[in-house]
Amino acid sequence: MSVLRPLDKQPGLNTATILLVGTEDALLQQLADSMLKEDCASELRVHLARSLPLPSSVDRPRIDLIVFVVNLHSKYSLRNVEESLHYVDATFFLGKAAFLATGAGRESHCSVHRNTIMKLAHTYRSPLFFCDLEIEGFRATMAQRLVRMLQICAGHVPGVSALNLLSLLRSSETLAPEDL
Amino acid sequence: MEMQPREQAATESPDSGGGEGRPPQVAGAQEARPEDRLTLLLRLKAQTKQQLLEYKSMLDASEEKTPEQIMQDKQIEAKIEDLENEIEEVKTAFEIKRLALHRMQLSAALKKNLEKINPQTSVLMDNMKHILKLNKLIMKSQQESWDLEEKLLDVRKKRLQLKQASESKLLEIQTEKNKQKDDLAIMENSDKIKTVQQNLQTEIQVTTVIQHVFQNLILGSKANWAEDSAFKEIVLQLEKNLTMIK
Repeated sequence: MSVLRPLDKQPGLNTATILLVGTEDALLQQLADSMLKEDCASELRVHLARSLPLPSSVDRPRIDLIVFVVNLHSKYSLRNVEESLHYVDATFFLGKAAFLATGAGRESHCSVHRNTIMKLAHTYRSPLFFCDLEIEGFRATMAQRLVRMLQICAGHVPGVSALNLLSLLRSSETLAPEDL
Repeated sequence: MEMQPREQAATESPDSGGGEGRPPQVAGAQEARPEDRLTLLLRLKAQTKQQLLEYKSMLDASEEKTPEQIMQDKQIEAKIEDLENEIEEVKTAFEIKRLALHRMQLSAALKKNLEKINPQTSVLMDNMKHILKLNKLIMKSQQESWDLEEKLLDVRKKRLQLKQASESKLLEIQTEKNKQKDDLAIMENSDKIKTVQQNLQTEIQVTTVIQHVFQNLILGSKANWAEDSAFKEIVLQLEKNLTMIK
């Protein structure tokens, strides 16, 4: 199956799986390591992928959160992510997908404008995070945030669902794209 | 896809079985383990409940038929925003109801508590009395500040009125002065005064001529006018220049 669906498999017991999609292998690996270092009561599984669709030969658990990593320094990564978005089911965007833009710190190297990625996130109604994954401190903070989000999306936090979190995150964000 | 999409997986086992961040205990782990297992089981129960709820809600959602017609982008955006607003409204309504419920529960518990204990001596009653005192103080000071503001407003109004009155008075004074000036100017230019002035001039000239005549008479008579005081007075009076009097 080429299209990822959120609830087509049974959830693993006490397991939460995140899928990081992006072209920057080194950054993804570093982010994965930071996330695994985080203190978390559930078992974390981090999958990395260059682009979708994923090969169906591999037996993988249910994916709870997809993070699309876009490097603002390269247009190729943006195009890669845009093409991968076609292989994700629409129900994923009810809180189980997020965008992460890296490299915004060095404005001179940015070839993708900030507003482009903001429009993309706005179209898909998903939260957008800006984080310089090269800097250790920011990466650790981002990893912490992603771990918390992952726990909520996997259903490990009673009382909060992914959609709930999405509407909570939305209220502070929707102002920015309307100003464009 | 030009290149084969690669996939890597990394896993991690939990640091302690359901420890939730507690420091690992080296000694006495035996007694700790049954407790850990219990918390783990409880946590798993909560997780499974939440996941079941999610699956159920997805089932309910998928039963609703989505409209298959092709809509324009703007319409889709508007519909999505409507749905988002609906979610927000439901959430706020739920929060409000929960608050109301909490409040009712709190007041019921309070009522039961009050019935049980001696109402005179409890700390709760002291707190409530203190609250009432403070509220009275607040209301009093609010009333005082309101009164002061009223007085301030009155004073300001009076000041404004006085200013307006003084303005009108000054205006009156100015108009009066202007009128006076105009009148004076008119009077000075009137014909009556001119004729009177001319008559005065002629009279002065006539008198001056008469003075000169008498002077020459007395001088021509060669009489000694300095001897007699009355005579001297008359001569000196004739010397007076009448144009200076004007």
